[in-house]
Amino acid sequence: MANVTGALVAKSLVLVAKKVEQNKDYLCELDGEVGDGDHGVSMTIGMRAVSRAAKDLPSNCTPSEAFQSAADAYADEVGATIGPLYEAAFAAAAEVVKGKQTLNEIGDWASVYRAMADAIQKLGKAQLGDKTLLDAFYPAIDHIQDLSTKGGNLESALLSTAERALKAAKDTRNLVPQKGRASRLGDRAKGYQDAGATSLAVVLKGFADGVKKG
Amino acid sequence: MVEEMVEGYVAANDHIIKRVGKRSIVRANSPIPGKVGIVVGGGSGHLPAFAGYVGKGMADGAAFGNVFASPPAKPVIEATLAVNSGAGVMYTYGNYQGDCINFDKAQDKCREMGIKVQTVVLNDDVLSAPKDQAHKRRGIGGLFLVWHVAGAKAEQLASLDEVVAVTAKANANTRTVGVGLTSCIVPANGKPTFSLPDNEMEIGLGIHGEPGIKRVKVRPIDSVIDEIMDAILADLDYKGSDVALLVNGLGGSPAEELYVVYRRVKQICDANKINIKFKHVGNQVTALEMQGTSVSLLRLDSEMHDLIKNTTVDTCMYKKV
Repeated sequence: MANVTGALVAKSLVLVAKKVEQNKDYLCELDGEVGDGDHGVSMTIGMRAVSRAAKDLPSNCTPSEAFQSAADAYADEVGATIGPLYEAAFAAAAEVVKGKQTLNEIGDWASVYRAMADAIQKLGKAQLGDKTLLDAFYPAIDHIQDLSTKGGNLESALLSTAERALKAAKDTRNLVPQKGRASRLGDRAKGYQDAGATSLAVVLKGFADGVKKG
Repeated sequence: MVEEMVEGYVAANDHIIKRVGKRSIVRANSPIPGKVGIVVGGGSGHLPAFAGYVGKGMADGAAFGNVFASPPAKPVIEATLAVNSGAGVMYTYGNYQGDCINFDKAQDKCREMGIKVQTVVLNDDVLSAPKDQAHKRRGIGGLFLVWHVAGAKAEQLASLDEVVAVTAKANANTRTVGVGLTSCIVPANGKPTFSLPDNEMEIGLGIHGEPGIKRVKVRPIDSVIDEIMDAILADLDYKGSDVALLVNGLGGSPAEELYVVYRRVKQICDANKINIKFKHVGNQVTALEMQGTSVSLLRLDSEMHDLIKNTTVDTCMYKKV
């Protein structure tokens, strides 16, 4: 069993950044079909800053401090819509795990993910079905919430949660966007997978791999 | 790339502006006593919009974002602090979710610091949402006309409420429609954002290389301009009115083409008894090297007419005598 300390959260954030960067071109391609083609760029710039900040954290940092450093790093580098959204998400994660030294329970991550999604929802005001990253996030949260009541292994719970997010991201193809630039295309944007939902799945996969690696 | 661009931009315009942060500039003589500070901004890739209009008669400060991405709140705050004379600050920018969130955040922070800040969000793009959902429309080329009015009012040392009111009025009377023949390449991405066959064009597109409302076969330019003008005139009654007019290039179209566009626009205005009191033809609100054009009309009342007519504009990238 991994011992998910603040230092491991920080290491996982570095891994998330790496995964986002590996998917940069793919995310831009998805965004270019209906948006302005820069989603992979924005995510990469933001997560690079998160990665730099995470590497500077002391080894005895708390999980909350690790998430807070990500929040501070992301927004100032990116702007755009995604900047404040991820800033708010990481800040909410920092808030919800305040006082905890480790995040070893599935329930810890269920509450981290829920806090992140709720913060994004509050700021971006998207509803489920609006073809945003929340359409990948909330199904994944329902999944990990289920697992947390059933109990089980944290690593495999995080992995299957990331897979659930990816599947939900693929399902966004059928949705008509209501937010962001793509919303101006209406039905014409149907058939394309949402870039923000896809990058969210990449982020969750990064956390899962980071915790697994230990 | 944006960092290098800002460095060069500041150096090239150091007689007009000074830098107050990594991504923020203001007029060199800021704050100007008694004057409302106008802070603009948005993603990079649109020059002269937005930073190009910092100078006398238009904006006082600007925040640079990455290419086609809103600036973070921080440079907006830096510009606000630098232009605030005590008379208050107005933010004005195009209606995009990212800009709204980041400028609102800056506005909240600056109000907490005791600075009077008001915002006018611009939404002139007719085809980006139906008329009954006009609040969802994007801001595109029309900002060039609206900011003439806003900047002129602020130069007269009008109050914040007065500057906001006339800016909102100008926005409410401005309509734009654009058409694109090619996409553009976001530098960090390296590839065209979308592909458009040589014999097709996008109508109703924005200024970020994003697709438009519909894709049609390329046709003679007059019939394209007719469609643009039909959409504008159907959305707001311009008949018999005085207008300010912009024929805008999206960055990659030759100036010659824009004059061909202007020729047809003028014919249509004449036929509808629309009196062109102020006009400009050129690349103003661009989308990198995208080929295409947009047409903006601002319906003038006597206040807005006189403001534009009587104000000299001398900004980094645009002058008007």
